[in-house]
Amino acid sequence: MRLTFKGRPVIPGNVSAAAAVSHRGFNTYASFFRSIHEPSATAICADSGNEDLYGRDLADKVICVPGTTGSTSGGAVWQRLIKMGNAPKAMLFANAIDSLAAGGLIVADLWVGRRIVVVDRLGDTFLESVEHGDEITIGDDGEVVIHRAGGATSRRAAGPASSPARPPTGAEDVS
Amino acid sequence: MAPDAAQRANIGLTPEEEAVLAGSEGPVSQKVMRTVVQYGEALGAERLVDISGDGHLVIAYAIPGIAPSLEMLEELVAAGLRTKYPFTLDPRPPLDYDNWALDGWQVEVLGGMYRDQARYEDLLLQLGLRDVDAYTCRPFLEEVGNIPQRGDILAWSESACVVYANSVLGARTNRNGAIMDLLCNIAGKVPLSGLLEDGARRATWRIDVRTAELPLPQLLGAAIGRRAMAEVPLVTGLNRFLSADLDAPTRDYLNEMGTACADAGAVGLFHVEGITPEAVEQGTDLLAADHRTYAIDDDVLAALSASYPVLWHERDARPEKCYLGCPHISAEQIDWWARRITAALRERRQARVKVPTTLCAAPQTLARLGAAGSALRDLEAAGVMLSAGCPMQLFDNDLAAGSAIITNSTKLRTYTNARFFPDHRIVEILVGGEI
Repeated sequence: MRLTFKGRPVIPGNVSAAAAVSHRGFNTYASFFRSIHEPSATAICADSGNEDLYGRDLADKVICVPGTTGSTSGGAVWQRLIKMGNAPKAMLFANAIDSLAAGGLIVADLWVGRRIVVVDRLGDTFLESVEHGDEITIGDDGEVVIHRAGGATSRRAAGPASSPARPPTGAEDVS
Repeated sequence: MAPDAAQRANIGLTPEEEAVLAGSEGPVSQKVMRTVVQYGEALGAERLVDISGDGHLVIAYAIPGIAPSLEMLEELVAAGLRTKYPFTLDPRPPLDYDNWALDGWQVEVLGGMYRDQARYEDLLLQLGLRDVDAYTCRPFLEEVGNIPQRGDILAWSESACVVYANSVLGARTNRNGAIMDLLCNIAGKVPLSGLLEDGARRATWRIDVRTAELPLPQLLGAAIGRRAMAEVPLVTGLNRFLSADLDAPTRDYLNEMGTACADAGAVGLFHVEGITPEAVEQGTDLLAADHRTYAIDDDVLAALSASYPVLWHERDARPEKCYLGCPHISAEQIDWWARRITAALRERRQARVKVPTTLCAAPQTLARLGAAGSALRDLEAAGVMLSAGCPMQLFDNDLAAGSAIITNSTKLRTYTNARFFPDHRIVEILVGGEI
């Protein structure tokens, strides 16, 4: 199954990786504060308040969130993750990007030099459709494609009121 | 890169800004401007505006991953750049070890964590830090003197300072993140977006305070923040208890309340009916047509306080430490603690508190009190330590994980394992030594 969404490329690029999904605001500092001290291949989410992501490895993932929350000191985390080698490949925002995330990610992009691709304004339906482990392909025009093996339905669309034949509003089901 | 160029068309720049972006002031200035322009594009700003006052920045401690990298700061300094106006910084890390009753291993870990601190502070001085003591999260206290004017356009960070500058002083700043705050202040420019614009300053929540007495400010703030999240609340019902002329106790109260609003949610601006400047001027006209309403009474606050989990290794442990002054407290608040602790000790015919306690305030506040009054002497005689540092920085790297630490700060509670108690209970516990 493929679901396609179109957002706004804030930091454009072409990447593919597995999704990690948070349905609540992503607290950048709380999630990464244990992952920024030394070079590592992993970045285990340390935010015990985030039941979706706590304990999951976020390195090299496409992190899908509504927006970010938490301390304004979280801005430097992105820069450091890139240097430690365990940054995510992309950040996908359902909403318009918030000032904390925009500042941190743009600084990391322009001053460190390894790009974390960022697309925002993907809409609530995107976040309702994407699941942990889905393969995500992002294009530099802001197109985001969810690939799911085995034709599994989305978690929210799997209830008795919906059917896989009816894609979520705003999504183009090309499966 | 083509996509970047396509985006850039979305923001209008002055000829002067265009020139800097094209490299007229050198490659590092060019990169700073490019960063600020891209920030503006991401936020959907139509243009940049000039910053009109001193800055306040969040990162005062040189922990890699939290602070900007030294290489980046060195690049800025080598290019001869500094902020257009001076800036103040959040409190220093707790490197005044004697004031924190630390164990040897903790001192060793802290020394390693902050090994670059001196070099970092030197670089920030070169970049525009106002002076060597400009470290506090209460920059707008009179003795500190970074007091924005109504309508000032700023690029501040530190959520507690952003919310106070917007709400109580009527200045205009978004919640900027670390590093971007510095770069905007170097460029002297900030994107015109969010709380810089009138529309985003209207209240989308009406929070009706129905408590019998003036509630604990941080507990009320936490309740407001949890409900309003990143939106703007108009708080009604507080003017039954607080002075309309923004006197010192009212300013202290609103600072504590705002700090908690900002950390429990992401509130960057609140209004208080009859008290804060935009609410005094516009009254309930500040309310957006589709605003929602939420009532907070004593039951709501009691339930919130009871919901805080105990993150100590042993729930019934005797408290090992107490941290007060998050955010930094004023001279009047220090005086209150001195009087209450002294009276409680006298009542029990006891000389000193039984829980090692550190109380934090701005260096300028401690200097003012040291010269003027007996409060500091009384606190020191009672065994209370005083510091201009920040207790939050003790909790990185698991320095205090699971320890039985008590505090009256919901902010410290949010980010650490410290356990929250209201002020009167803190006094009882300090004197009695147990919960």
